[in-house]
Amino acid sequence: MTTLTAPAAPSDRARRAVRRRPAFAQLLRTELRLFIREPVALFWGVAFPVVLLVVLGIATSSKPQHSLGNVKFIVAYTPVVMVFSLTILALNALPPALAAHREKGYLRRLSTTPVGAWRLLTVEVAINFAASVVVVVLIAAIARIAFSVPLPSELGGFVLAIVLGAAAMLGLGTLVSALAPSARIAGIVGSLLFFPMMFFAGLWVPRAEMGSALRGISDYTPLGALVAAVQRTTGGNWPGTMHLAVLAAWAVIMCVAAGRLFRWES
Amino acid sequence: MTETIEQRTVDTVVSVQDLRVRYGATVAVDGISLSIRRGEIFGILGPNGAGKTTTVECIGGLRTPDEGTISVLGLDARRDRDELRERVGIQLQSSELPDKLGVGEALELFAAFYDDPADPDELMRLLGLTEKRETRFAKLSGGQKQRLSIALALIGRPQVAILDELTTGLDPQARRETWKLIESVRDSGVTVLLVTHFMEEAERLCDRIALLHHGRIHAIDTPAGLASGVQASQQVSFVPSAPLDGESLRSLHGVGDVSHQGERVTVTGTGDLVGILMTELARRHVVPMQTRVHQSSLDDAFVAMTNDEEQR
Repeated sequence: MTTLTAPAAPSDRARRAVRRRPAFAQLLRTELRLFIREPVALFWGVAFPVVLLVVLGIATSSKPQHSLGNVKFIVAYTPVVMVFSLTILALNALPPALAAHREKGYLRRLSTTPVGAWRLLTVEVAINFAASVVVVVLIAAIARIAFSVPLPSELGGFVLAIVLGAAAMLGLGTLVSALAPSARIAGIVGSLLFFPMMFFAGLWVPRAEMGSALRGISDYTPLGALVAAVQRTTGGNWPGTMHLAVLAAWAVIMCVAAGRLFRWES
Repeated sequence: MTETIEQRTVDTVVSVQDLRVRYGATVAVDGISLSIRRGEIFGILGPNGAGKTTTVECIGGLRTPDEGTISVLGLDARRDRDELRERVGIQLQSSELPDKLGVGEALELFAAFYDDPADPDELMRLLGLTEKRETRFAKLSGGQKQRLSIALALIGRPQVAILDELTTGLDPQARRETWKLIESVRDSGVTVLLVTHFMEEAERLCDRIALLHHGRIHAIDTPAGLASGVQASQQVSFVPSAPLDGESLRSLHGVGDVSHQGERVTVTGTGDLVGILMTELARRHVVPMQTRVHQSSLDDAFVAMTNDEEQR
């Protein structure tokens, strides 16, 4: 029992400090394990978009489509698939995970330790962001190698658009988990938001084929603006200022609202 | 360096003055003051809704009181919250871990939060969790979850451990083992603040107890002191070997009441009731048969307290 409480000798303490992992790194490591143990999120957020890309690439015509602005179907769709995976992670994986942590009292439990619950929130969002980046890179690579989809040659604009888009969506996901009373409801709300948002991203009707009124609405939605911005970068152009501004506005609104409204206790 | 700090605060580890907490119109804690000494197991006992959990949440820095001051290890519960978290271990009522987090992983994670943690392997051994190292939280039994929760409260080598409803949901065997563990934690120098509504637990474990009711402290004393404070604290009943004039026993010192139920005579009173009664019966050549003695317990103190309050 003495080992529990007897003050450690200085050398012992120093040795411990060297051997031990910093709190944040250990939290990241643990949450990463938990993320990987959630097969549903991994399947829909990572595996499914990759399969979707391959199926679309194989099944669709390799000739430029006039209605899509004289690009191949898969070229127009690659940004949509990227946005698809990012959205799944932000709206379907993150909210129930965060809400479950709160529902179980885990956030409250952490707030009794020197680490505090806000670090867990940061780690959760960071993991989902990192997963989004990995999938986006994976999709860009597969699209390039298998279907000759040009890589975004305006790399700076591409990265900026993806970061702003991810911030807006992860902010929205955190907001959903803040407002939902339980993990189950957070999951349902995330799914309900997914369909209209992905509609405006052009998952069912490509943006190029939308009527001007519909595309006008799409321009002001986070995912519509994100797809438009990413499509521009594939052609070597800097994303439109309006689309970047829309993304930045959504990112600020969502993150501020999530930060204000997040509750640590149910 | 730590020695001198500890010496300065020798006796009182937790000091609470005029604590008040309201939830909207409800007053959960209504002016509680108490002080807890180093190295004791201090119990907070009371019926549901008495304000026990709210009180310890304030002490643990989890809740901000509306009024009152709280000092823990010489630190202000609100201002020095960070320092407090390092030195106070808290086991919360109904707080769970992620389903897919393993026992060993949880302990290693929490160990990383503190400057000078206990060894996770050692704690697992002490709490009988070594074989469950790889088991995920969702697969643990209620008792195992509870033991893990205690282990997590102790992983930072706290100077004060706050344990809320420690043994709720444990079977009697596990409960007794947990009590032994808490005693050994206390013996290693940790001050333990225990919230409970189990009389037996409070009686067995606590050095001192605060009885809480409707957000107020009804009494603070040792378990024996609380029990003896109850009126008519002893009861002796017996069947006399020869006819006995029960009423004549009333004049004896300490006897409060005498009642008959068939042949059985029941005498209630205070002081050295048994000795006085036996001497008197011997003098009258009466042998008490089938004698039963009932000492009032913490249970009686508790019931007396709640009755008192209801009558107000």
